[in-house]
Parts: sequence; C-alpha cells; structure tokens
Amino acid sequence: MRERKHQFWHDVVKNRTLLLMLAPAVLLFFLFSYIPMSGIVIAFKRFDYVGGVFGSPWAGLDNFKFFFESGDAWRVTRNTVLYNLGFIVLSNLIPMLTAILLFEVGGKWFRKITQSLLFLPYFISWVVVGSIAYSFFAFDVGTINGILKWVGMEPIDIYNTPSYWPVILLLVHTWKSLGYGTVMYLAAITSIDREMYEAADMDGANVFQRIRSVTIPNLYPTVIILVLLAIGNIFQGDFGMFYNMVGNNGLLFSSTDVIDTFVFRLLMGSNEIGMSAAAGVYQSVLGFITILLANYAVRRYDKERALF
Amino acid sequence: MSQRSKRKLGITLTSVLATALVLSACGGNNAGNNTGGNTPAANNTASNSANTGSEGQSGVDTSQEVKLKMVLLGAKPADYDQVFGEMNKILKEKINATIEAEFLAWSDWGQKYPLKFAANEDFDIIYTSNWAQYSDQATKGGFLELTDDLLSKYAPQTWAAMPKVKWDQARIEGKVYMIPSNKANEFTDKLVLIRDDLREKYGLEPVNSPETYAAYLKAVAKNEKAMTPYGLESAETTNHNLDKLLLIQKNNWKEFSGLPFSVKTTDEKAQVFNMYETPEFDQLLTYYKDLADNGGWSRNALTTKGSTTDDFKVGKVASMTHNVTALGGVLADAQKAHPDWKLALVDLSPESNKSAAISTQNGMAVHATSKNAERALMALDLFQNDKQLHDLAMYGVAGVNFTPEGDDKFTKTDKYGNYNSFSNWAWTSTLDRVDSNYPQVAQDVEKLWAGKVYNYKLESFVFDKTKVVNEVANVGNVMMRYLVPLEYGLIKDLDKGKADLIKQMKAAGSDKIQAELQAQIDAFLAQQK
Repeated sequence: MRERKHQFWHDVVKNRTLLLMLAPAVLLFFLFSYIPMSGIVIAFKRFDYVGGVFGSPWAGLDNFKFFFESGDAWRVTRNTVLYNLGFIVLSNLIPMLTAILLFEVGGKWFRKITQSLLFLPYFISWVVVGSIAYSFFAFDVGTINGILKWVGMEPIDIYNTPSYWPVILLLVHTWKSLGYGTVMYLAAITSIDREMYEAADMDGANVFQRIRSVTIPNLYPTVIILVLLAIGNIFQGDFGMFYNMVGNNGLLFSSTDVIDTFVFRLLMGSNEIGMSAAAGVYQSVLGFITILLANYAVRRYDKERALF
Repeated sequence: MSQRSKRKLGITLTSVLATALVLSACGGNNAGNNTGGNTPAANNTASNSANTGSEGQSGVDTSQEVKLKMVLLGAKPADYDQVFGEMNKILKEKINATIEAEFLAWSDWGQKYPLKFAANEDFDIIYTSNWAQYSDQATKGGFLELTDDLLSKYAPQTWAAMPKVKWDQARIEGKVYMIPSNKANEFTDKLVLIRDDLREKYGLEPVNSPETYAAYLKAVAKNEKAMTPYGLESAETTNHNLDKLLLIQKNNWKEFSGLPFSVKTTDEKAQVFNMYETPEFDQLLTYYKDLADNGGWSRNALTTKGSTTDDFKVGKVASMTHNVTALGGVLADAQKAHPDWKLALVDLSPESNKSAAISTQNGMAVHATSKNAERALMALDLFQNDKQLHDLAMYGVAGVNFTPEGDDKFTKTDKYGNYNSFSNWAWTSTLDRVDSNYPQVAQDVEKLWAGKVYNYKLESFVFDKTKVVNEVANVGNVMMRYLVPLEYGLIKDLDKGKADLIKQMKAAGSDKIQAELQAQIDAFLAQQK
C-alpha cells in the first residue's frame, strides 16, 4: 500500500509539467460542466423563488409529463434526430469533398480566398439568415417567386408548404457550416504524410486513385471523431436555426418542429423552469445513451479509433 | 518540423476545432435549459422596515442616501441622462434617493423578465402588468406584498388618490403586489384604422360593420396591388388578430388570454365555454376564408417579419387593428406625414359594451428582496403625485422633449421620442397631461365609450394556471398549430380543419382546463357575494 502511494507521488512529480498543462482544462471542465450538472435537480422540482434551486418542493416526474402528454413527443423527437442525421452526413461529406478539391486544385491564393469566402456565412447570425430567407421565400415579394413569375411559371407558396422545408433547412445548414468543416478537413489533409503521396506517384496512381487510396483512408480518424462528437448532440435541435427560419408558423410544424423549438413554445408563456430543465434532461440522457452505443459500435469495428 | 510532428499538429488542430464546436453548441443549449440560478430565500413580506432614527418629514428615516434600481420595459431613451438626472435632483431633495434604471428591450423582455427574479438580481422596483407576468411572478413570490400599512405609511398620496376599486383589481388571492397606474379610463377594446380616402375612391359604403370592412379590404386587394389590405398586429399569437374584435368584443365575451375559453360578460352564472365550438365561430371562419381567398391579408401572414405600424404610415398597409390610444397615435403621425390621406377609426361592433382596462394594465411593483422597500414606495408615490416629477417621468424635460400648455395639456417636440421609448405609462395618474395633437376622432371614441363602460363581477378575475400548466401549454401549442392557419384561411377544408382543431384541443386536455377555470370562477363569484 505504501509502495503504491509512493509510486503515485513519484508519478506526479515526474509528470508535473504535463499535469500543470492539463490543470486549466480540468478546472474549466469541472466548473462549467460538472458543477452545473447538480442543477438537474430542478427537473424534479416545482421551482419557486422562495426555495431556490435546492429548497423548492419535489415534484417527482411531474415536470416530464407535459412533454409526453402533448402527443407530439414522438414527432418532435423523430424530427430532431432525422434533421441531425442529415446535418451530420452533409456537414461532413460536403466539407470533406470541398477540402479535397481545394487541396488538389492547389494555388495558394485561390485556396485562401475560397476558404475565406466559404467561411463567411458561419459568422452570420441566424436572425439575419432568417430575414434573408424571408426575402427569398415570401409569396408575394420573394426573390424566388419573382424569378418564377418572370419566366412565366406559377408562384410557389413556400411558407405554407411543409414538404419544402426539410430540403431548405438542410441546404441552409450546409451553406452555413461548409466553411468551418472545410478548414477542419483541410487541416487534416495537410497533416497526411507527404511520403505516401510520393509513393503513390511512383506507383503511377492518377489523381482519383490517389484521393481514393491515400487521402480518404487517412481522413477516417477525423471523420470518426467528428461524427461521434456530433452524435452525442443528436437529440439537441439547433434552436437558433429552426426558430429564426420557421418562427411560429403553425402550418410548418409537422415537418420542422424539433424538441427545442417545441419546448420553447410550450413553456414561453408559463416560465416553468422545472419543465424546461426536464426537457433538457430528456435530451441529454438520450444523447448520452446514443453516444455510448455509437462508441461501442466503433470499438467493435476498430478499437484504435473509438473515443473511449 | 518533422513529418511526424506535423501530423500530430494537424490532429491536435482538428480536435481543438471540433471541441470548440462542441463547446459552442453546449453554450447555446444551456442558455435555454439552465435558467435557474442560486436563489437565496426570498422574503415575501417587508422584513426590513425602517430603523427608527432621525425621522424625516413623513415620519420616515431618510438620513441615509440610497440608490434605487428600477427595471423598465422598452428601449433605453436617448435622453436618459438628462431626464433621469433632473428626476434624481428632485428625488434626492425630497427623499434622499436616486434612481438608476435598466431597460429590457421589447424584443426579448419576455425571456429576461423572469430571469431577473430567478437569479434574484439586485433591483428594487420593476414594471409589471397583467400582460407582463404580474400574477405569475406574484404567485412565485417575486414581488413584495404591499399591505395597507405599508402603502398608507410610505405612499400616502397614492393611498389617498387611488380609488379603492383599483387596489381590489390588483389583488391576487387577496393581496396587493403593485401600485397600479391611476388613469381614469383606458380602453382595452380594439378598433380598426382604415384609409377612408381609398374607400371613397372605390365608392364603397362607410365602414361600420364586419361586412363593410370586408368589402373595403377586398376592394383594396383588387385595386391596390402594391398594398397589403390588412396588416397583422402580431404574428406571435395563438389566434387571429381580428378574433378580439369580431368574436370577443362583438358578442360581449370575456377572454382569458392564451386560452380557447370565454364567458359571456352578461351571464350571471358565468358559464365557461369553448369559443371555437360556437356557431359564432363557424360564421367567422367563413368570413375569414372569404377574405383570405380574396387577398385580404398576406399569404405570409404566419411568417411576417415587418412592422405593421411603419408599413401603415408609409402606405404599404391599408388597415390595422389596435386599441384607441395606439391607433390615435398612428393616425396623428400618418396624417402629419400625408395630409392628403383621409383616415378613419372604426368600431366594428358599435353596439357592444365597452370594457375599461382594469388597474393591473400598468403598474410598478417592489422586488421581494429589495433592501430599500420603503424608499422605493416613497419614490413611486412621488412619481404619481408630484407634479414636477410626474411631468419629467411622463414626458421628459419641458422645453426639450415636450412643450407644456397650461396645467393639463402638452405638445410633443421633435425630441419627444428621445425620452418616450419605454413603459413610462406605468405611473400615469390624475396629473397626466393630454396631447393637444391627440386626434379629435380618438377623443370622440373615448368619450362615446366612456358612457358604455360595462362593469361586471368577473372583470378582475385572474386564472391561476398552477394546477393545469401542462394542459395550458399543450392547448396553446395546438391553437398555434391548428387554429391560426385555419383562421388565416390557409387550410382548404374548413370543416375538417375545425374537426382537427377540436379533436387536438381535447387530446391536449382542454376539458380539464375548462373544469378548473369554471371551478375557480365559481369560487371567485361566491367570494364576491
């Protein structure tokens, strides 16, 4: 026992520099991720100011009821997951392709400028994007209908037709996140060992063969990390996006309502903190389970590449 | 740098970027979910009554200077420093206090307001109203209870000037939590504002009923391609903006905001019924559908992002709804900018009873944990009853923001808007001045209505949702999803749309709310007897 304790201190002293570097991250994580977690108790309480977070009376599972009693729980959960799956696929695939193309096309200036231009939408707030979208899609004054009328076609009623919206939202999301993803994948491509490309050239591989056999396999670890991280959030709808694009347009809810907008709408009027916390807990627990399963699947396939 | 370490760097960079992405996503979500801060026990009654020491003129110790923090709704006025500077001079002299105000913007006050309480922020006075969470925050213990003792001691002038009925209307379970504004008659009934010159142009009959109004809207839709006939007051509601006029006012019903239920104001027994299951609603639905099909409002009604008031003033919208005070203001502005327009204020149900706003329409409350509750009440007392301070607080600095005319009238200067950008109607009182440019038509309407004010027992009833929060939230959602599109004529089959609506409302628990509402109303009426 003493031996082991001695060994522990020995390790600490030996790795002091590394541990010191680790300290800020651990501290921040503890402060901002672990301590706030105790707030989960709010989900099981009927919150009032007199009692505060810990003194309010217990409410059991009452706070979860509104969500499941609404009859919409399944629909909004399904929408959230499907949209997120779409986002994960598109926002990995397309940036990856863009990064590969940019890398192959070369030309330092061209690459830099394209990269910056692609990155721009990332900085535009969803509120602004919502307004831009409105001037595109509005029935009477929108650009799209303006063009349709000009070429002699019937105008389309975008804001009253739910079926257009999954496509629109996927496109807008991809447009907005493209730059960020591209930079990430470009960084990953740049770090691929040059010698592999040289070897491929020696073997007479053409561009496509080189991409297929060298670049893409080397990007697997990055893809897996990104996908695993994204899967953890698969039950969290991007509120800023959905709310600003759709707002309170009831006609579109069937295809655009996600957990976050749904909960926001239901609880805006009542300020029931306990219920919003309950919704958050529901999302987090499901997200946690999903990420465990996904990680397990990756481990089965390839131990090296799993997150943990 | 060797190839190997370069590769490491790449992976590190990737991870850092990815982590940043995850962290930023978390940040966004947490804002919505973890709204509760650490809240020390709030105290519901005045725990810190004045220390007895050197006594001021009203028998209250004001020897210690205090700074009162006040929370108001609206944009921070451009002339904040000047006007509040002047106000503070008076307050300093009279009660040895100064005020520092914070403003919650119109765009997001709804989210920020409850957080002020949840986080137990340090503030003393806050704006409140029956539409600004008065009963919500009162039942949650956010406001200090204002007992008769407190009021008569620290706000004696208000206590004397305010009619008893106004205090009674402000009671929540028998207790008062706000100093209501003391204005004689403020009407909540809504009217429509129309362009009478357009009506004459198309040779239509004067607008004075739902039918003539529809004819007007349709004529505009047909002839004025660049105009939207009816501009929405707000897209963020659970029913059509015209419901208030064409369903509730027309039939003399009382509404319960956000709920599908209503009570006939003349019904002694106050039987609760669902508005959307009545023949009156069926009729209205056909009326709406006809208007929608004839372009009465924009096809984007549910997503509209403009400001109807601004659009009306520049001639993009041909008609809008609001209460008489607001429309009077719009009318004056529009007339000034376009002298060639003829504008008309129209009551679409002139036969109906009119309801004056109950006192909780506007008011100021004291925070439950305020350390300077007495001084806060004394300040509020002066806001309503000190002529000099009242003028400043209502209209700004004389000669800069407004020009006083005699004792009871004023005109706006160009800089009027530099001060009047927030909820300063909170302290309206008998000392108010009348805008001498306030249009005669609006004054006429008010005069006419004053004779038709109908008081009924249920007027000040407030529904306590605590027992049915889930159902209320879900029914509200159903209304937004099924009722609003139906009313704006976006659903082809009216009968099916209505059947869906009723079915979904029942599934969401409307019957349970109705029973609870009826029980509370019965208890309320029994108490009044």
